[in-house]
Amino acid sequence: MKDISQNLVKSLLSDRKLTQLIIVAVIVFATFSILVPELFLTPRNFVSMAFQIPEIALLALGVMLAMLTAGIDLSVVSMSNLAALSTAYLLVTQVSEGDGNVYVWIVITIAVGIFVGLVAGLANGLIIAGIGVTPILATLATLTLYNGIAVGVRNGQSIIGLPEEFVAIGNSSLWGIPMPMVILLVAGVGVAIFINKTGLGMQSILVGANQDAAKYSGINVKKVLLMTYTLSGGLSALAGLIIASRSASANPDYGSSYVLLAIVIVVLGGVNPYGGFGTVTGVILATAVLQMVASGFNALRFSQFFYQLAQGFVLVAVMVLNVYVDKRRMARKKLKAPKES
Amino acid sequence: MFGTKNISKAFGGAVALADVSFSVEPGEIHCLAGENGSGKSTLIKIMSGVETADSGSIVLNGEEFRSLSPREAVAHGVQVIFQDFSLIPNLTVAENIALSTDVLERRKLVNPKRNREIAQKALDRMGVSMDLDATVQSIPVSSKQLVAIARALNQGVKILFMDEATTALTRKEIDHLFGIVHGLRDRGVATVFVSHKLDEVQEIAQRITILRNGSVTAEGDIKDFDRKAIARAMTGQEVNEVRLAPAVPDNAPTVLEVDSISSPGRFRDVSFSVKAGEVVGITGLLGSGRSEIAEALFGMTKIHSGTVSVNGTPISFTGPRSAVAAGIGYVPQDRLTQGLFLHQPIAKNVLAAAIERFVGPLGFVKAKSIRETVTNWISDLKIKTTDPQNPATSLSGGNQQRVVLAKWLAMSPSVLILNGPTVGVDIGSKRDILEIIRQKALDGMAVVIVSDDIPEIVQIANRVLIVHQGETGAEFEGAAIEETSLYKELAA
Amino acid sequence: MSYITPLSQRKGLQLFGSPNELFLLGAIVVLSLVIGLNNSVFFSIATPFDLLRSSLIEILFALGLLIVLVSGGIDISFPIIGIFAGYTTVVIMLRFELDTYSLIIPLILAAIVGAILGSINALLIAGFGLPTLIATLGTAGMFRGFLLSYVGSVYIANIPLGLDEFSTADLLSVETSAGTLARLHVLVIPILILAIALAWMMRRTMFGRTIFAIGGNEESARRMGMNVRWTKARIYMLVGAISGVAGILYVSLQRKADPYDLAGTELEIIAAVVLGGASIMGGYGTVTGTILGVLLINLIKDNLILLGVPGSWQRAAVGLMLLIGVIAQAVADKRRMKQTVTVAEEDSQ
Repeated sequence: MKDISQNLVKSLLSDRKLTQLIIVAVIVFATFSILVPELFLTPRNFVSMAFQIPEIALLALGVMLAMLTAGIDLSVVSMSNLAALSTAYLLVTQVSEGDGNVYVWIVITIAVGIFVGLVAGLANGLIIAGIGVTPILATLATLTLYNGIAVGVRNGQSIIGLPEEFVAIGNSSLWGIPMPMVILLVAGVGVAIFINKTGLGMQSILVGANQDAAKYSGINVKKVLLMTYTLSGGLSALAGLIIASRSASANPDYGSSYVLLAIVIVVLGGVNPYGGFGTVTGVILATAVLQMVASGFNALRFSQFFYQLAQGFVLVAVMVLNVYVDKRRMARKKLKAPKES
Repeated sequence: MFGTKNISKAFGGAVALADVSFSVEPGEIHCLAGENGSGKSTLIKIMSGVETADSGSIVLNGEEFRSLSPREAVAHGVQVIFQDFSLIPNLTVAENIALSTDVLERRKLVNPKRNREIAQKALDRMGVSMDLDATVQSIPVSSKQLVAIARALNQGVKILFMDEATTALTRKEIDHLFGIVHGLRDRGVATVFVSHKLDEVQEIAQRITILRNGSVTAEGDIKDFDRKAIARAMTGQEVNEVRLAPAVPDNAPTVLEVDSISSPGRFRDVSFSVKAGEVVGITGLLGSGRSEIAEALFGMTKIHSGTVSVNGTPISFTGPRSAVAAGIGYVPQDRLTQGLFLHQPIAKNVLAAAIERFVGPLGFVKAKSIRETVTNWISDLKIKTTDPQNPATSLSGGNQQRVVLAKWLAMSPSVLILNGPTVGVDIGSKRDILEIIRQKALDGMAVVIVSDDIPEIVQIANRVLIVHQGETGAEFEGAAIEETSLYKELAA
Repeated sequence: MSYITPLSQRKGLQLFGSPNELFLLGAIVVLSLVIGLNNSVFFSIATPFDLLRSSLIEILFALGLLIVLVSGGIDISFPIIGIFAGYTTVVIMLRFELDTYSLIIPLILAAIVGAILGSINALLIAGFGLPTLIATLGTAGMFRGFLLSYVGSVYIANIPLGLDEFSTADLLSVETSAGTLARLHVLVIPILILAIALAWMMRRTMFGRTIFAIGGNEESARRMGMNVRWTKARIYMLVGAISGVAGILYVSLQRKADPYDLAGTELEIIAAVVLGGASIMGGYGTVTGTILGVLLINLIKDNLILLGVPGSWQRAAVGLMLLIGVIAQAVADKRRMKQTVTVAEEDSQ
């Protein structure tokens, strides 16, 4: 056991980006702890963050999978809302007060919600891999379409009044850890295993590295992309269900600002083209960092708009920093002998 | 006079050029020869102002310069045409030729009529006519090259460097190009061919400078050198041109059977077969269809009629995967973009095609078997690397090609098709790669080599098929395979 | 023989340069017939007038985006720049009690604000070389966050009179048979002029040709001696200014300054430009196509009710339309790639 954890820590720390991220996390934590300890350093705050991190992290994981294959998925939020609405609708119409079969229905409706997400993701995959539309345009279009469907089926209205048993899931804790966080950890481990330990996962990385070479190596690029976007849909659905459970409602327009946030997280968390546990950990850690910033800003009474401003700024700043780091690495390489002269 | 005097350049600790002096006179056709790593690209970069030398000087038009900026180089008549021609695909021929003048004159407005006149003038000087208004992406490769030359002419070129100019040309186009180069010569423009195609070099060049490991190892008039001497100066070794073709047992089964395959516009009615342990070479001029046949056998190009069978079973091609499933592997022409995942670890590259073989029932990969397999292949093919986790970019061209080979050998294919396997590979590695191919053939693999490198084909093939305008023509076997007859048949 | 239409077949400022544009025009005509036959209310002079009025601002945004797409980039911050400039201009005019009747002042102010924001994009993309999608995603967030945090999040109904009155500045107003007034807004003229000017700029100035060159092959453009960096910077500053002007005009036509407006409209405009023939890879695109793309999308959007689509489903219908549009573009692009390869092969044999 000690061996495994030692190896894990070693491999995590060897990833330079992850180390930098850990440092950033520590700095952010320290800053807000110093500035507003009475609001930030409370157990209530940490519990609150632990409840909020999972939904965003799951969305970010979906985006990350798409970016691993050199694509992008902008429709994650729309897919999550659609899934949430499907589950909520069924719950509200099929379960009445004090119904004995509640738990059965909950299981069924959750399955339906996830199924909806998978189908939406699959559709993305078909458009991107089957027809050949670039991911940016494809997911921009489906983002609108899925949102439109969510609005249309419910006439723009939200669904409220979800059964308390369902709501309990998102708001309860397992051995002290909030349920959503448990779900995130399970999903996170699943994604990490997928990337590192499965054939399809490894192929995804190769497809993202060089799609042509992947084709010439006999890799089923279409299958890889379909799987990637379908998984993204599934993860989005999971996020949507957590949101629905926590807020006891489903809303077609929820979280429209989450797309920017998800991309900031993925960029911050370092999409590592080599895969590695570092990537999923990076995403979750980056989500935590940004959630700390959000709660810190909240404690400091900054508006949500300022948070959005900060997100945009962080995204840009991280990328500019990357440019400088890469430039210095290139300059150092140039001093060494070039392979071919 | 154009050239360099005692140029030295080092990157960090490694010497790229050591005291290199060479000269080219106006109107001279010069060849700059050298392996990868010899320093020839650094030399060109220094002469065109992209890099600065540590010491020594550059001579342009008799004037000496300690260092140059790219703009100064162009102003003094230095032009470099790279293999990609550096053209702009969505702009017209006229614009590609004339816009650089507009840029130079810092114009704000574009006058299409004037640009067309400028372009026409440049093309006239070459004796070439072309649709000035066609977009560059719609014209064939040889025309693109002519546009690039016209652009150089338009910029007042006095010394033109052409990097591997004939790679993408048919024989007819090469003749045409050489005619134009002679025209340039008559106008006093010096041309420097950077080439490894020694026979072409001997055809066109007057003088030659050979680089090895950053130093000039030989230079002089072309007529004083034969191919062996040039190769020796380039590699420092005696080139072993003993034939490597494996002996094929009489009772060897037929592994690959190609029966009357056709693909309209590409090839027609192609038939041949390959036995286990046989190496069949397919050669023809560029555009003859030889590459298309190779790609069709791998499922990349659609076959409209005819059948391909491996070990008796016909293949219904749906793409590369169906070919791989049938036991065919393919080492593509363009190693860097089609064969390798440059920034991925060497280990992953070796694994790329075989991943599914190492996947268990639940989809998990067997890490330990993977590690063993990778290690085995690296040592088997003698891939020089300190760590399999290093990215593929850290390898030399020859080693990179071995990685691509390893990727396919890891699949134990029944048939291995190689397209231009030693392009861009240094002579030392060339021989090694051919030896590997020979060994695998002896182990029972059926090999098809598509190549335009006649000496290479002569070394390794048991049988040679000539492809001419999409159809298979003459066939050579055994002792009949030698260069002169092959060249003759190609040119026919 | 299937070369991409050689320039020799185009003369001067010919209106329709490519089959794509004819197809769009055809689609507009056919669609109009379908809608009209379904509901004859459609066949009135009010329809094209209203269509133009609802499309004009989008056309302005789309023309700016066209320039970016041709250069091989993408910009999703432009509507945010628009509303930022529009809202800020109104705030400044009200705060400093500037001449309320003037139209010139707000236009210039908005253009300046837009250009400043655009230059931030320019710095990131041309200066630091950041990928355009992520860079503009970041700046969109920054600009919106800044606007709502520091400039104001309050809806302003009393915009300066000049701007307010401009919303009813009509070139023509015709009384329809239904008794209503069909109005053709005066903006048609300046936007038409701008469109022609932009088309001329793209075809006849070095700036324009450089933009095409960068979109075609950036490295080759650089080797030709073109100043790629500076051109890119100018592109984003120009688009910023155009977006700023579009933003203030939007405020005027809407007769209100709502800082929450315009966010999210980038998708539709991108789809319109792509539908109009611009390739997301860069190097291709025309002004005519872009305008037709916007008109087509708006034609459908504005008349969904006449087509029998209930209100709550309109967004879905738009999404579906975008999807069909981008799929059609992808298929067309693929076909274009295939054609050129075959031609080359034929010639080389």
